[in-house]
Amino acid sequence: MEGYTGKILRVNLTDGEFAVEDLDPDLIRQYVGGRGLGTKILYDEIDPAIDPLSPENKLIFLNGPLTGTGAPAGARYMVITKAPLTNTIACSNCGGSFGPELKQAGYDGIIFEGCSEEPVYLWIDNDNVEIRPAIDLWGKTTHETDDLIKAEIEDKFVARDTQIACIGPAGENMSKLACIISNRNRAAGRTGVGAVMGSKKLKAIAVRGTKGIKIANKEAFKKAVISAMDKLNAGPVTHEALPALGTPVLVNIVNECKILPTYNWQSSSYENANKISGETMAATIVTKHKGCFACSIACAKCTKVDSPDFKGEGEGPEYENIILMGSSCGIDDLAAIAKASYLCNELGMDTISVGGTIATAMELFEKGYLTEKDAGMKLNFGNAKALVAMTEKMGRGEGFGLVMADGGAPLAEKYGHPELFMGVKKLEAPAYDPRGVQGMGLQYATSNRGACHVRGYSMANEILGVHEKIDPLVTEGKAAVVITFQNLTAIIDSAGLCLFVALCPGFLYEEVQGLLNGATGFNYTIDELVQAGDRIWNLERLFNKKAGFTKEDDMLPKRLLEEPAGPNNDVCRLNEMLPEYYKLRGWDNGFPTQEKMSELGLK
Amino acid sequence: MDKIRIKIDHSKCTGCRHCETACSSNHYENIVNPALSRIRVFIDEKTDQFFPVIAGPFTEAECTCKYDVIIDGKEYDECNVCRASCPQRTWFREPDTGVPLKCDLCGDPPSPNCVEICNHGALSIVEI
Repeated sequence: MEGYTGKILRVNLTDGEFAVEDLDPDLIRQYVGGRGLGTKILYDEIDPAIDPLSPENKLIFLNGPLTGTGAPAGARYMVITKAPLTNTIACSNCGGSFGPELKQAGYDGIIFEGCSEEPVYLWIDNDNVEIRPAIDLWGKTTHETDDLIKAEIEDKFVARDTQIACIGPAGENMSKLACIISNRNRAAGRTGVGAVMGSKKLKAIAVRGTKGIKIANKEAFKKAVISAMDKLNAGPVTHEALPALGTPVLVNIVNECKILPTYNWQSSSYENANKISGETMAATIVTKHKGCFACSIACAKCTKVDSPDFKGEGEGPEYENIILMGSSCGIDDLAAIAKASYLCNELGMDTISVGGTIATAMELFEKGYLTEKDAGMKLNFGNAKALVAMTEKMGRGEGFGLVMADGGAPLAEKYGHPELFMGVKKLEAPAYDPRGVQGMGLQYATSNRGACHVRGYSMANEILGVHEKIDPLVTEGKAAVVITFQNLTAIIDSAGLCLFVALCPGFLYEEVQGLLNGATGFNYTIDELVQAGDRIWNLERLFNKKAGFTKEDDMLPKRLLEEPAGPNNDVCRLNEMLPEYYKLRGWDNGFPTQEKMSELGLK
Repeated sequence: MDKIRIKIDHSKCTGCRHCETACSSNHYENIVNPALSRIRVFIDEKTDQFFPVIAGPFTEAECTCKYDVIIDGKEYDECNVCRASCPQRTWFREPDTGVPLKCDLCGDPPSPNCVEICNHGALSIVEI
């Protein structure tokens, strides 16, 4: 089998056994890999109604066929499980070098089952697989864990090639905002996948591989790689904006469009946006550009903060967390935002959800629903020191941080004002206000893992005009646009590519098809890929149905539907888009009809 | 073009290792494997330093003397940036056979794959 290794490692943590299994080529072809294949495996193997933190949940790390092949931006591995934060299907994906190294070791992925009694980590050196004790690693930050595992490896060059994915204290404490970190600062961030790892007492996976990945057609693949790179190099976002400023390039753009969440989404533009912009960041704290494996974009920014209060270094912050921790908390101190991001990476938490939860807490505090006594500190908007202090408390599960570490929805509920939680399906919303970009509202509402931007980034057309410029303020036609992006994203994720390729004009199915066919030799047609994307989206939806979700869960926070804001002083007119969305999807009552399921070969 | 050299500007390297995949897939039939690459990027994740190193000659023995190098104010064991294929290092040797690997300035006329694929200006060709 080419493109894939054809093997998956199954590790049972309860009895400490593992086995190497063959992947079914027919299944692979239908679900491509990564997100699609992982969802299929999870759907077939677990009852979606289980408690995500119980031993019955499974945790699947899975590469796509393009991961590690040298396809540009083909660095992604995906973590598929039932999500503790949302109770939905989870697929969080991550760049860096971990996925490629796992594939070099001979595995498309790993399925973890059961739960260990004592903390362990998994060691993989090609065929040599060991479940090792991790008692000494428990309690350590992600950076310390990385250092300690590598220090145990005798040959320092082997240590250098070893790639590690791990959780920090947040994951150990089963915070529902916990993520999985690899390469020290890359995160499989959203929906609390780190808590599942913590519930299984699995601290880390360390992998080193030297086996190689087979490519079906060397010449065709090389041609597809060059074509893809030429496209990426001709795109203003992928060739200029992201390499120069990283994702924070969006701060000023989004603020000018008046869709920048501010003061927990009470406003949609921020007077001090320039202080937290990508331009300011580049001029003050960025030290270096960094790229994930085989990436021709290199959007990551290494940063260093010297100010005594917030001293530190690491990667980021990224656009989303600058806004959620910045303007949404009324904070214009980039150093503090960077420090809170560093803490999130070290303690292993999702920066978006942490920012969103703190913003909710700040509004609760400002309105007098949450007291200083309860919170243990003054949580007023604009309090940069409180942002950093609370982030640390959340990550370590200390004091009121323990309450906040389960996310904004339970917090707002606890203090009697659920309407102050700004998210969908308990997932804190990312940083685009749908009152001025209607398609994103539909995307947040319908995304299978809750309010999420990377499941269907209609922003690409609505605001950035990447493939086609469309009016962000209208609802007409948005259902079709959102569906197109959702299905394409499912294929990009499943292939192992980074979603940023879709921010380049014309990087659509044809480019992905060229790369996939060169690597796998499957000779996918475009229609087949479009249908596979649709199939993956529908299967995720069916998982959620079995997990107990209903049409009523496809709902935005009241504020976005009732309190006007944004460039047109409008609300998000979800009701104008949702029925059409269901109709175009072939769904009845929010879920696939029997006819739709048969069309896609789903049961 | 008569003769060329490869110029490495480590300040422009992003540590993406695209050169490693390009080199290995060019020298082996239908396989991608950084462990078979004749260029490796030494990555120090703690300091975010990235040094591409191109495989040079094979040496039978380990070095008898060692030194440390200081680059951008940080100290490194010279082995990290050395280009020899040697018994002390896993780099630049085939993992299964131990056969040493050496850059052959591939292409006719030379147009090394690693340079072609590098999108960040870290690798370039200089005519001499």
